[in-house]
Amino acid sequence: MSAPSLATRALDLLGSEWTKFRSVRSTYWSLLVAVVTPIAVSAVVAFAFTTAPGHGPPPDPLLPGVISLEYAVIAISVLGVLAFSAEYSTGLIRVTFTAAPRRRAVLAAKAVVLAAVTLAAGEVVAFVSFGLVQAVLAGHGQGVSLGHPGVLGAVLCAGLLLCVCALLGLALGAIIRHTAGGIAATIAVILVPGIAALLPAPWNGRVGRFTLLEAAQQVSALHPAANLFSPGWSLLVLLAWPAAGLAAAALVITRRDA
Amino acid sequence: MIEVERLSKRFGPVTAVDDLSFTVRPGRVTGFLGPNGAGKTTTMRIILGLAAPTSGRALVGGRRYDRLIRPLREVGSLLDATALHAGRTGWAHLWSIAQANGIAKQRVTEVLGLTGLESVARRRVGGFSLGMKQRLGIAAALLGDPPVLMFDEPVNGLDPEGIHWIRGFFRELAADGRTVLVSSHLMSEMAQTADHLVIIGRGRLLADVPTAELIESSARRDVLLRTPRAAELAALIKARGGTVTRQDDGALVVTGLDAAAIGDLAAGDGIAVHALVPRQASLEDAYLDLTGESTDYRGRLQ
Repeated sequence: MSAPSLATRALDLLGSEWTKFRSVRSTYWSLLVAVVTPIAVSAVVAFAFTTAPGHGPPPDPLLPGVISLEYAVIAISVLGVLAFSAEYSTGLIRVTFTAAPRRRAVLAAKAVVLAAVTLAAGEVVAFVSFGLVQAVLAGHGQGVSLGHPGVLGAVLCAGLLLCVCALLGLALGAIIRHTAGGIAATIAVILVPGIAALLPAPWNGRVGRFTLLEAAQQVSALHPAANLFSPGWSLLVLLAWPAAGLAAAALVITRRDA
Repeated sequence: MIEVERLSKRFGPVTAVDDLSFTVRPGRVTGFLGPNGAGKTTTMRIILGLAAPTSGRALVGGRRYDRLIRPLREVGSLLDATALHAGRTGWAHLWSIAQANGIAKQRVTEVLGLTGLESVARRRVGGFSLGMKQRLGIAAALLGDPPVLMFDEPVNGLDPEGIHWIRGFFRELAADGRTVLVSSHLMSEMAQTADHLVIIGRGRLLADVPTAELIESSARRDVLLRTPRAAELAALIKARGGTVTRQDDGALVVTGLDAAAIGDLAAGDGIAVHALVPRQASLEDAYLDLTGESTDYRGRLQ
């Protein structure tokens, strides 16, 4: 038996994780909630901006779509956390690690599968929500089209949010190894830094620019906020959150007994 | 072949495995025996690269487990049959494991057939009985058709029919020339399954012997004797080369002469015999003696 190449082994592991991912119902429930909720919410948010008393047009025509995406954060984070925590809580992780003793490769394979699916889901949500929001806003003469300069890039970036949250959840699920704890930690890491917005200026911006959700809004805006990082830097901040989580998970995953 | 060399594992102040060395050879079923908490599962986890030893090492086929490229083709293992995702089907469970080692789909079908699970393979494992889960775990261990197999307490939860099946199965695997290590805390179970025994207590090696040899050495044969003329009969027995010890209750325990010879001796001198009982220690007794000694030994040390 000749030794299989690295690429073959990587593909084998991806196939294994893909089979696991699509063979449990929690995957479909989480994705369904994460996709349907923001799409349903987007039209409502757009209506609220245009019709609520005292409200003018949204400060940014893309903002309703971005706000809607945040309604998917919890469901998609749960999906990420479960990828590891479900294996730890059942003991299945020992089967996984005996089949694939290189644990960081398992982490990477899970991350690739999760990223591919949640990125696709996020982009679908971002573009469908965009269409709905602009249809509502257009009725009030405030819509923009995809062809408008900067819009396509912003909508594409908005779609990243689900993938970012799912990967952060995956990392924290691997680190904490319990489903409830992993979900609580992921939600906390995503939402708690939001209190930065309550700080007095200029600190709300100076601190807030580092938060995941502010960064997500900044990269998805047609008119980025002046007190935060530029969209380019904000994109790095956005991606740094799951990257840091996965790096920490890669460190601890090989050091602990399974 | 599995080689455990001076293996130790400490969890804080607790020493789970203590300077343990043994070798598991191919072609026979080796029983890995010890009371609950003796360190069997910890040792198996270390062999499988799931836990890191504090010192020493464990090799499978001459290599550390985490260096194996396609580990399931070299070692099949079952640690905990209930470690399953309840929502996944048996087939998906096995296929995901097979894929990780480049094992073909057809082999999944084969091991389902070997373990008699074809008809339930498309059902979610949450509805499986413990016996079905054990079979699924064994199917997973067989996926890579490995030369080395390890099973941790595989008999737990099986019904008599399942136990009969699994014993025959281990024998077949060993007869194929494979290395088979089966752990249990029940001597009676291992006596019927294993050709060779590795017995540990409190993480230390107590015995590494062929099962037959242990049975032979443990076969403490003696005769319990009650008679109103104990001193006279004892003297006669000693004169014929027997050894006599007197119990607290006045009964004599004789070794070196069998019951028939003692009876003839007594009859020859007209000595009444009230009880004449040949006794044989069971393997279970031998095991309890071994593991009990280890406890006492440790107790005196501390």
